Amino acid sequence: MRIELTVNGVAREADDVWEGESLLYALRERLGLPGSKNACEQGECGSCTVYLDGAPVCACLVAAGQAQGREVTTVEGLAGDGLDPVQQAFVEKGAVQCGFCTPGFLMSTKDLLDRDPAPSDPEIREALAGNLCRCTGYEKILDAVRTAAANR
Amino acid sequence: MDLNTVTGYRRARTRADLALGPGERILGGGTWLYSEPQLDTTGLVDLTTMGWAPLTRTDEGLSIAATCTIAELLAHPDRPPLAVECANALLASSTIWTVATVGGNVCRAFAAAGMVALCAALDGVALVWAPSGGGRHDYRIPVAELATGNGTTSLAPGEVLRALEIPARVLAARTAFRKIALAELGRSGAVLTGRVDPGGEAVFVITAATASPTVLRYPALPGAAALRADVDAAVGYYTDPLGSADWRRQVSGVLLEEIRQELA
Ligand SMILES: Cc1cc2nc3c(=O)[nH]c(=O)nc-3n(C[C@H](O)[C@H](O)[C@H](O)COP(=O)(O)OP(=O)(O)OC[C@H]3O[C@@H](n4cnc5c(N)ncnc54)[C@H](O)[C@@H]3O)c2cc1C
Ligand code: FES
Ligand code: FES
Repeated sequence: MRIELTVNGVAREADDVWEGESLLYALRERLGLPGSKNACEQGECGSCTVYLDGAPVCACLVAAGQAQGREVTTVEGLAGDGLDPVQQAFVEKGAVQCGFCTPGFLMSTKDLLDRDPAPSDPEIREALAGNLCRCTGYEKILDAVRTAAANR
Repeated sequence: MDLNTVTGYRRARTRADLALGPGERILGGGTWLYSEPQLDTTGLVDLTTMGWAPLTRTDEGLSIAATCTIAELLAHPDRPPLAVECANALLASSTIWTVATVGGNVCRAFAAAGMVALCAALDGVALVWAPSGGGRHDYRIPVAELATGNGTTSLAPGEVLRALEIPARVLAARTAFRKIALAELGRSGAVLTGRVDPGGEAVFVITAATASPTVLRYPALPGAAALRADVDAAVGYYTDPLGSADWRRQVSGVLLEEIRQELA
């Protein structure tokens, strides 16, 4: 089937989407946007987080067909002329090791700071509870979120 | 994950579209369907394209469409009491709330289904659409009875949950809530609610600790001993990696007593 959607502000269409396909697959394999990662593929790790009509979702749990006519933002859409302040803070604080979880953390962090520009540590932990990192031990990620909040 | 067995996808626009063919299944938010292989599913019928208003207030109370997402429920000014607490009792993060539907949560009917807890706490009734033909009719059933076990419901094949109705009389009730999990943000081991209606009737509900909802009703707030005896006598406490049956019974007793005192 064909799906038509807006991705990172650009009208796109994907052909030959098969009926059981996830939005994650469609983004990575049909629309050439491999930034969103497929790790657990069951909603646990958050590495596939994208925005659907402005709200964060796990792209691995969304049927590609349900993205028809909707707006999707992926990690590729985060940077403008330069890095987004959230991306910049992750670089500055070394909050990245293997980097597999990073796209999801960036999307969840930006969503958090858009809703709450000065979150407390418990609020940061709660907001990022759907994102798992196997490398960093989370401390540098928390540093990066605090830095991003301060720099915005 | 991709559902490799699925070869059909239909967007439902009318009730007739909801007639399921062999291997077809209703797609709500997809957060459970897409979280594990569905080997017996060959087609999806998208319910979210029916265009139902998420939440409607009537003289009779609230009608929550099956397709109302958990996020929409929480954001709605008319959301019922205990909605936030019961949504928080889900392990799921806000990325799940954005797309998971209230109806999908009820139909999946895990013991730790927060929307089953919510509906059971508020005497919620499910409006079920029967498939046309075959002499079956639409009907209403209390959600506490629709959820028959951990992951099972009384829904017959082809039946579709249309809405969850919360009666007006409970919207003014005083309510209280407790939950416990082995880890702070972990899957709920026991979810307890209490409600005292304006007329004085008291209703206590256990979910997550028993395989299906346990509803305890009293004409007025019971004494501690009577409530504890009923909690101990309830059936269906179960053991899994998130807690033993004995632990679930014990914490249900302790936390419902806290609720009883809070509502006294
Ligand atoms: C990380 C994670 C954590 C989770 N934590 C919890 C938790 O703590 N507790 C919990 O209960 N669940 C949990 N879930 C499972 C699931 O996300 C929820 O149960 C969710 O509410 C299901 O809703 P949905 O709309 O996504 O349902 P779907 O996945 O679309 O559907 C679920 C089932 O219900 C059927 N169905 C859906 N709507 C209808 C309808 N209107 N009529 C008839 N049948 C219908 C579908 O055919 C399917 O069998 C979790 C999932 C993930 C990925
Ligand atoms: S890949 Fe989607 S949550 Fe892990
Ligand atoms: S940096 Fe490797 S999983 Fe997070």
